[in-house]
Amino acid sequence: MAEYKASRGLLSSSDERSEPWEAQLRKGSLEMAILASLWTGKRYGLEVLRSLDGSGRLALAEGTLYLILNRLKNDGLVESKWVDAGTGHPRKYYWLNKTGRHRLRAMARFWTQFSSDLNALLEPVTGQKEDTSANE
Amino acid sequence: MNNVVEAIDQYCSRLWKALHKVPTPERDEIVREVRSHILERVEAEPNVTEDILAGIFRAVGEPGELASEYRTQAILSRATRSRSPWLLLRATMRWAASSVGGVVAFLATLVGYGCAVVFVVCALLKPVFPSRIGLWLAPEQTLSFGYWNGRLSGTEIYGISVRPPASFALGTLSATDGPVRELLGMWLIPVGVLCGALFFVATTIVARWLIRRFVRRKSWDVSPSYANSLAQNGRA
Repeated sequence: MAEYKASRGLLSSSDERSEPWEAQLRKGSLEMAILASLWTGKRYGLEVLRSLDGSGRLALAEGTLYLILNRLKNDGLVESKWVDAGTGHPRKYYWLNKTGRHRLRAMARFWTQFSSDLNALLEPVTGQKEDTSANE
Repeated sequence: MNNVVEAIDQYCSRLWKALHKVPTPERDEIVREVRSHILERVEAEPNVTEDILAGIFRAVGEPGELASEYRTQAILSRATRSRSPWLLLRATMRWAASSVGGVVAFLATLVGYGCAVVFVVCALLKPVFPSRIGLWLAPEQTLSFGYWNGRLSGTEIYGISVRPPASFALGTLSATDGPVRELLGMWLIPVGVLCGALFFVATTIVARWLIRRFVRRKSWDVSPSYANSLAQNGRA
């Protein structure tokens, strides 16, 4: 399956390197990340991509972004409008509507609690240097 | 610069052609947005070479594959609001191409609508073939709703059949020998219409529910990373 996806150019190099669970985690978080990038105001596609790119592991295919934005619009979470930005061609701006903001707040609350619980569980693992002698 | 615009036009033309079956307004909107994105990327480049342009196209995605994702999204999105069996079957068939869950949903939808068709067709044909269409009790406790071939040896009934403990067929089960008994008579007509309508409605509800669940769960591939494309284009 990975070979099939790679041959179709659907996997990023990071996906190819990473474990399936890492890819799944990123995919699952992508919708929330895109909504979060629109929290501060209206943005067009490339701006959304740049903000995700700044988050390192959340980078995604450029064509894929518009598919997700399209789906979020169909789900009634974001609005969009073509704006003549004076660049010689119009830009399509996206922004969160009331439902989208409400959904994102709920997602953020869940994520904060979830990551906090998980961090607490992982603290003994990440807070200690590897000690092989402990297992002997 | 003319060459760049020409190349972008060619890319967009390929995308537009590949988006066939997507309604025209939606198709135009997708191409317009992708074109706008490519122009943004090109304008951000101090010097647009052939390699840089190819890198931008690669980062956006191959037109055929991108269009395929859009077509899937369009058909699934319409299917969640549709009552058209044809559209629901097409949507589940597309889903079936990507997962085992989709295969199950497609088969369930196909069998559901198939049963609805058998019930209604039998109700319509009962007055024409009163002695051949019926609800039949055949040997081995086989219960069949459909058309009997009229033979006592090598009995076959074409339609919907169930046989204990766990045989079900939409079509015909293996032939049996022995008498068959018709159970409904002319009552088959209202029963057939009612069951057909029930199967139709139930299949539509279940198929739409399954597709909605799939659409909600569908996770889009975190494909060719933007960071990589930037690096390839020397903009990182």
